[in-house]
Amino acid sequence: MSASGLADRARPASPSRLAVLRRDPRLAIAIVVGTVLVVLMLPPMWMLIQDSLTTTNAIGNVTGWTFAHFRKLVTSRDALISIWNSLVFAAGSTVLSLISGGILAWLVERTNAPLKIFAYLATIISMGTPYILHVIAWLFLLGRVGPVNDLYRQITGGGSDLFNVNSMAGMILIEGFLWSPLVFLLLGATFRASNADMEEAARMSGASIFDTLRRISLPLAMPSILALALFVFIRAIGGFEVPALVGMPGRIYVLTTDVYEATIIVPPDLGYAAAFSIVMVAIVAVLLYYYSRLTRNAEKYHSVTGKGYRPRPFDLGRGRWIAGALILLNFVVVLLLPLLTLLWMSLLPFLRGFSLSALPTLTLANYRTVLHAGGYLSLALNSLSVAAGAATAIMLLTALAGWIAARGGPGGRILDQLATSSLVFPGICLGVAVMEVYLRVPLPIYGSLWIIAIAYVIRYMPYGMRYVYSGVLQLHRELEEAAGVAGAGAMTTLRRIVAPLLTPALVAGWLFIFLIANKELSIAVLLASPGSQVIAVAIFDDWVNGQGGELAAFGLVWTALMTVIACLFFLQMRRGSTDVYGN
Amino acid sequence: MLKKAWLALLAMAVLLPASRAAEVDPALVTAAKKEGQVVWYSTLIVNQIVRPLAAAFEQKYPGIKVLYSRATNSDTALKILNEARARRIQADVFDGTNSIYPLLDAKLVASYHPKAAADYPADLKDPDGHWTAMNLYYMTSAYNTNLVKGADIPKTYQDLLNPKWKGKIVWTNDPTPQGPPGFIYNILSTYGHDQGMEYLHKFAAQQPAFIPASQRVVLDKVISGEYPLAVMTFNHHSAISAGKGAPVQWIKMEPLLQTTSLIGIVQGAPHPNAARLFVEFAISEEGQKVLAEHDYLPADPKVPAKIADLKPQAGHFKVNVVTPQMARDDLPEWTRLYHELFR
Repeated sequence: MSASGLADRARPASPSRLAVLRRDPRLAIAIVVGTVLVVLMLPPMWMLIQDSLTTTNAIGNVTGWTFAHFRKLVTSRDALISIWNSLVFAAGSTVLSLISGGILAWLVERTNAPLKIFAYLATIISMGTPYILHVIAWLFLLGRVGPVNDLYRQITGGGSDLFNVNSMAGMILIEGFLWSPLVFLLLGATFRASNADMEEAARMSGASIFDTLRRISLPLAMPSILALALFVFIRAIGGFEVPALVGMPGRIYVLTTDVYEATIIVPPDLGYAAAFSIVMVAIVAVLLYYYSRLTRNAEKYHSVTGKGYRPRPFDLGRGRWIAGALILLNFVVVLLLPLLTLLWMSLLPFLRGFSLSALPTLTLANYRTVLHAGGYLSLALNSLSVAAGAATAIMLLTALAGWIAARGGPGGRILDQLATSSLVFPGICLGVAVMEVYLRVPLPIYGSLWIIAIAYVIRYMPYGMRYVYSGVLQLHRELEEAAGVAGAGAMTTLRRIVAPLLTPALVAGWLFIFLIANKELSIAVLLASPGSQVIAVAIFDDWVNGQGGELAAFGLVWTALMTVIACLFFLQMRRGSTDVYGN
Repeated sequence: MLKKAWLALLAMAVLLPASRAAEVDPALVTAAKKEGQVVWYSTLIVNQIVRPLAAAFEQKYPGIKVLYSRATNSDTALKILNEARARRIQADVFDGTNSIYPLLDAKLVASYHPKAAADYPADLKDPDGHWTAMNLYYMTSAYNTNLVKGADIPKTYQDLLNPKWKGKIVWTNDPTPQGPPGFIYNILSTYGHDQGMEYLHKFAAQQPAFIPASQRVVLDKVISGEYPLAVMTFNHHSAISAGKGAPVQWIKMEPLLQTTSLIGIVQGAPHPNAARLFVEFAISEEGQKVLAEHDYLPADPKVPAKIADLKPQAGHFKVNVVTPQMARDDLPEWTRLYHELFR
């Protein structure tokens, strides 16, 4: 969305006026890419609208028009409760992740606190871990037999628990932890880029660290923080893992779990699910509007200049060891505890709390099953190939669309809006919509990996667009103009000049999409079928079916693999300096 | 050549007696081998029974691979319905207690009269050949043996209403005869309608926790100590876990509820012969013995359970039976009551 704002500013020097490019072959590219985007992006939206307004028979054919689904939605008390729950849940987890991730980012980027490496370690590894694994570990940690409640019972000697994890508080806490690494990453970029002159001036005038923070640093970072808050809020509204695993047992329903439930009953109530989805899409669209305005205005606050030095970090004095302890605590809480929990779960013959008496029963049986039961290998291959395929398709499409859009080429604005339009879909809604589209298409797509790949392409197209867009803006136009003057056509310029220079952005975008495609459950949960399973869905199924030990063992092996890829992503990001809002 | 002949002989020696016993048509085996695989949508627990049964089948019929996937009854039905909508059926065989009914409505169940079921009692097979019983379930309560001891162990349904169990009882939200709807039926038919409804209101006031997962997960929550007491669990699951040293024991809370898991073939299955062969195997004496060996309760009356007292005759407990026909006719009403009472 912010990309289109930038397109406006790029327009004045529109190269279509240049004589060299008068016979603009980009028009042909724009038409081809545009057609692909229309075919991909528009049918799901249309299908949601149609489903929400029609009645269908048992086989799913439309039998008539109706407002009944929306009527049911506004008259049912359950629906209103779900909407309210969604808002509370998203707001709470946004605040929590901003506080924990924000403090960490400031400590790491702007102070001389020690042990910073642990903050990066926690972030990199959690980039590669499917959300659902975190959630399962947290459920155990905070659950009735987890160490938290266990310790409390031993101290108080009573039978009652300190904390009921299947509550709104539990949901907010876990979702907040899920997002805090991302907040750390993105706010870290903001803090790193901000100008230290004003802070220095404040310090010189005798302001304390706290005053400087409150009156200079925070107001300067405020637009970024607000934009990030909206972003996390939007993602939490569409979050599925936590509401499903943590909320449903406590009978706390939010919009996403209502959509899910309406889809998996027999016969499925797709009209109701679609109506619910439309409500969610509307909420997200409004938020996105404000988000795009915020990020557009945010540039006014940017105090980045050409000065080639990093801001001087605050000296925390003796406080730096407290700061170091906080960083370490974050590492332990966000990463180490969940991983240890998974390790514990993977070694047990049956699930039980942490205890010495369980030690003699530990076994590697789950790992043996994971390595020998062939299902897991093909599962991993499925996931890797779908994610890689989707990432490749997206980067190919957006490399062309993003270049044309960023250079104000023919139809650039439309391409940009088409490619970023799927931001309004929470994952689960996109899942419903894509399923409905491809159940009707007479091609063998439903029930194959293709349908998941298509959904990923739709879902992550906006992220690819952003990587390419900001990548192109970093390239000065004169390089392309020089090529043009030297007699190169648009295609040659694209191939010989733009593509090679854009490669770092393309690689970073590819890795990013590859990683998040393997993390998220909500899109694929309705699309995966037994013959075409992907990781996150298989873990969810394993959990529902009571194979906790196996899933923990498999999850750890998988996390190790993904961590390697996440490391590549970080290296690439540091090198290409493409900090792009994403995920 | 010689080696090949030896192998063939060996294979015959291994296969022949078994094939004769199960009276499987050799033409069916040949046709099934040509198809090479069978896709089984199961509601059974993968590591407990799906894998062993698949392995036994693959061993007996080398060259036919069993691809399986586990889901709940409703998910299983839904996936097959969707595949039919997309005109791309992938499932060959399915099982479950009530996954079959939506499929019957959509005419998605093939008719086949397995030879292996020739001796099955009439109530364990469909006269139209749409299903055969594969295994039986006995639903009952279970408790954590570390947390609940001696006189505290509830023995009757009335004991569940004791205030000390408020918020401590756990069950699944599975809307099947193995979940709350089955419990509601059991109570209503045991106590009569008025008294039964009174009981159910009191039970709802105990605020049992719903786990949005299988009965296996519910039992694991008892084993891990998250909840001391569960209702509507499978008695054989408790036996399997106790055998591994888990602190769990099922209760003879009478009457227990008996339900039947059925196996059927999908209409339009991509591997119809392998599907038939698999059904023949699953309900044959040989297949049923695999079930029994892994502590499941075989439907075939000739095959005893490994732990005999999991079944009512040897275990001396009274049961209430939900027949497949009853499940089809009355489940919607029980489910309606469940939503009314518990949501």
